[in-house]
Amino acid sequence: MSVPPMSDQELHELAGKLAALGEVRGTPARDPVNEPMIRHWLDAMGDTNPAYLEKGVAPPAMAQVWTMPGARGPANERSPVNDLMGALDASGYPGVVATNCEQTYHRYVRIGERLTPATRLTDLAGPKRTALGVGYFATWQVTWYDEADEPVAGMLFRVLKFRPAAREQASQERAAYPLQPAINQDTAYFWEGVQQGELRIQTCADCGLHRHPPGPLCPACRSADRSYRVASGHGILYSYVVHHHPPVPGRETPFVVGVVELPEGVRIVGNVVDCPIEEVAIGMPLRVTYRRMDDRLVLPMWAPGEA
Amino acid sequence: MSGHGPSGDGAGLGGHGRPGGGAGLGGRAAIAGIGATEFSKRSGRSELRLAAEAVLSALDDAGLSPRDVDGMVTYTQDANQEIAVARETGIGELTFFSRVEYGGGAACGTVVHAAMAVATGMAHTVVCYRAFNERSGRRFGRPDSRLTGEPTSQGLEMSWHVPFGLMTPAAWVAMFARRYMHVYNATSEDFGRVAVAMRRHAATNPAAWFHGRPITLEDHQASRWIAEPLHLLDCCQESDGAVALVVTSAERARDLRTSPAVITAAAQGSGAGQMMMTSYYRDDMTTLPEMSTVARHLWATSGLSPEDIQTAILYDHFTPFVLTQLEELGFCGRGEAPDFLKDGSIELDGALPINPHGGQLGEAYIHGMNGIAEAVRQIRGTAANQLRDVRNVLVTAGTGVPTSGLILSAE
Amino acid sequence: MEIGAALPELSIDLTPTVVVSTALATMDFTPVHHDVEVARAQGSKDIFLNILTTMGLVERYVTDWAGPAAVIQGIAVKLGVPAYAGDRLRFSGTVVSRAEGRTAVEVRGRVSLGDHATATVTLTEEGTGR
Repeated sequence: MSVPPMSDQELHELAGKLAALGEVRGTPARDPVNEPMIRHWLDAMGDTNPAYLEKGVAPPAMAQVWTMPGARGPANERSPVNDLMGALDASGYPGVVATNCEQTYHRYVRIGERLTPATRLTDLAGPKRTALGVGYFATWQVTWYDEADEPVAGMLFRVLKFRPAAREQASQERAAYPLQPAINQDTAYFWEGVQQGELRIQTCADCGLHRHPPGPLCPACRSADRSYRVASGHGILYSYVVHHHPPVPGRETPFVVGVVELPEGVRIVGNVVDCPIEEVAIGMPLRVTYRRMDDRLVLPMWAPGEA
Repeated sequence: MSGHGPSGDGAGLGGHGRPGGGAGLGGRAAIAGIGATEFSKRSGRSELRLAAEAVLSALDDAGLSPRDVDGMVTYTQDANQEIAVARETGIGELTFFSRVEYGGGAACGTVVHAAMAVATGMAHTVVCYRAFNERSGRRFGRPDSRLTGEPTSQGLEMSWHVPFGLMTPAAWVAMFARRYMHVYNATSEDFGRVAVAMRRHAATNPAAWFHGRPITLEDHQASRWIAEPLHLLDCCQESDGAVALVVTSAERARDLRTSPAVITAAAQGSGAGQMMMTSYYRDDMTTLPEMSTVARHLWATSGLSPEDIQTAILYDHFTPFVLTQLEELGFCGRGEAPDFLKDGSIELDGALPINPHGGQLGEAYIHGMNGIAEAVRQIRGTAANQLRDVRNVLVTAGTGVPTSGLILSAE
Repeated sequence: MEIGAALPELSIDLTPTVVVSTALATMDFTPVHHDVEVARAQGSKDIFLNILTTMGLVERYVTDWAGPAAVIQGIAVKLGVPAYAGDRLRFSGTVVSRAEGRTAVEVRGRVSLGDHATATVTLTEEGTGR
């Protein structure tokens, strides 16, 4: 949807017009309230309350589930809320984070009932300065009606549409990662490599010895003719620690640091990521992954890999 | 790997079963005085003042005056220059001064340098000291992003670790500890037994920070994680304080106020592929090759063997390396330390009492220097937890770093 | 159900399976709830719980405690930090009011980054109420 950028005043005017439309009916639910979807939901939530299926009613928190569009449903049905969101996107507030979801249940709905949603935009407040950046709070009200047009559930929903703080400072410097490596002519090739997504292992151009951490001379043959090969990116966790205390600048605790043994015959230290801490174990297969820490630094890290 | 360590395996076999077999420094120098400040969490005094107090106390203990001192040795990390301590204490001309590198690995190294100076005539009376407000001032346990500030050899070495948040001594040691547990099926309780024994020893040492405060294995297990697999109670108590030692010739020491602790053997050691505290790249990470170097040199030059040692002062900033040291020094075999501990061997009434003063886990963390003072007391017979018939005491310095060791003996 | 009474805590391991299966069970097919690459590309550190699931889990937490006779009247949630896969969601709750058969429970759902959800759940008892 292509919408021109709007000023603060224009956004408020648009919100006023959309709110004046009042409640706008949406598409009725594709399926009536049904037992398989209830059972599937209860399983996923780990909810063992027997009352719902015994009494033939849906858990009330499923209210919105019945009128969700589904995997291939209409991507963005035209509604006052979607129109306003589109205008905020176009006006430089692409970020979205929900802040409030308040549901009220007038009664539990029964298996076989088919619900229809209706949406009413109620408020637009802003622009306001928030921790995430400058943005607008948009609030709307959804009501679900039964086939007799009686409301069964309502929901107040509020989102913050914001201009990410990082974007505001894009011209300035991103917060620098505090744990920068010292780099010199003997080690620069490695840090340049990770910038390009390459894990470079020093090799001796004369005798072929692989070495990490690297150095200026080959300790085996004294050659100063240094080269490198790009590692396969596979590794095995050789040892690791879970750092809890004290806090480390630029890091959230707990975090995992491991010694990784590479098939190229060297070891390297890096963080183990994308793995629940309790599943980290010596011997686990890993693959390298790269994380940008700030404008200058990329660090190689290790995620669970295939054996 | 070339075997160019300070001692070949066959060096110094001169004196079977007898201390001071003639090779190396054997028996030529002695520790004639020890001194210390109180150990606390907040000394309330400058580090220079702590250094001066400990030095004067050690000289008083020896019955010497500051004017007798002509050499000084401290750690590279000490913030008090030799000349400043000399000015404060009234020490005059110096003919020998030196610093020893690598953190707590310097502890016995200061005595190595002092004994060499005495043995060669570079100096006659050398004071070794270590003084810091390591608790109320700069704590080593705190992350310091300046570790990688400059592309010095150490800054570059740290740069393979610090950017990943691996930047505290506890975490550096924990990496070795996890591997040891994996290879030998050791458990956190095995490390905990060291902490429990040290706190039990400290409980009856009035100079110890943890005097009267023993712990149980349950306390150890319940203490919070610092760097898994290390709990809080696997870590020593960071402390303020100072310790000083007076080294002079064995001959002269005999004429002084207290009975001398003769330096039967003294060694420094660094392994092949050595790093400051992150030697993760050279072997299976369950050993301490630098301590093996020290051990071979101590045994070879003294002619002694583990059975000749009545008590050992093993560096215990963190519990796991106490196990590794027992193995490197030959008190038990590889991977056998957990069973050695379960048998109660390191208790005061065990086969090899370790750290009768409570070690750095129980007495105080004075970078290993307080352990040397305890070894001297055990030889003199004046320790709080005095053991019987102490003839030879083995002392080690910082672990996981290039290190040092001593064998001190009664006359 | 006295005022000030604490609900037993509930801790849920947010495995990727939990995040994905609940998103799909609530008919929410937004990629950030099941596709880690898309989630990262949008600046998240991993896939994370969708709001319909947060609502469902709060409801489950309260009815686990109140029992099958409870009738939920409303759930008002203030949303906080994201609940990422790999994290753990810990619920705690306190009874804050009780009047004319209506009980209000305050619920906190915490993850390692902080409060994921702070909720007030209102319920009555089927029939007369206790």
